[in-house]
Amino acid sequence: MEEQQITVELPRFGACSYAPDEIIEFPWGLPGFPTLRNWLPLNLDSHPSFVWLQSLDDTSVALPAVDPWMVFENYDPKLPAYAFTSLEIREAGDFATLCVVVVTPNAAEMTINLMAPVIINLRTRKARQIMLDGSSYSPREPMPRKMPASSKSA
Amino acid sequence: MLVLSRKINQSIMIGDDVRIVIVAVDRDQVKLGIEAPRAVPVHRSEVYEEIRKTNQEALGAAPVAAGKPERATLKPRTKPNH
Repeated sequence: MEEQQITVELPRFGACSYAPDEIIEFPWGLPGFPTLRNWLPLNLDSHPSFVWLQSLDDTSVALPAVDPWMVFENYDPKLPAYAFTSLEIREAGDFATLCVVVVTPNAAEMTINLMAPVIINLRTRKARQIMLDGSSYSPREPMPRKMPASSKSA
Repeated sequence: MLVLSRKINQSIMIGDDVRIVIVAVDRDQVKLGIEAPRAVPVHRSEVYEEIRKTNQEALGAAPVAAGKPERATLKPRTKPNH
């Protein structure tokens, strides 16, 4: 039986349909958005490298993010204990990682937040932005404007 | 904001699970010890504030080009073979 589809009108992207099991829940919100719990990850077919984290609780809020390993092959975030316990993660295959990207207003520069990756448990669909306090990673690491066309294959 | 005075080695309980201890005081710097369950994040405020600011600024990005939105497929990291 097909899961019921919900259609929502998004200010940036127009109409979008999704099934309830595609929702990603951020039980703690995100810094700056503590009350926004329900989010949807979107790709624009014209730009598959970007994942837009679209808030369903406030459709004016959408954050662009990328897979950090597409640009920083050696990115090695040491996740603190609370990431594993609060998201019920046991091993690397349990979760996906995204880093939020800031594009300057004239689109001249992009920076990526390597200091606070978004960790998503793929089984429970719960997520949290984890701060790597004390790491040498920058919350505003400059990114090359030209993104790779696709991820490297394993 | 609750303001308390403490001497060295005195401590404060927050809820049932978090304890803050004054470890050392040296002119303009205070060294604090924090005891909290592993599940509780503890961060310097300026780190939290910087993350909050970058999230707010990320809102300003307009989609680089128009396109039809599709649900993204999220995958775990696959480490490259060495």
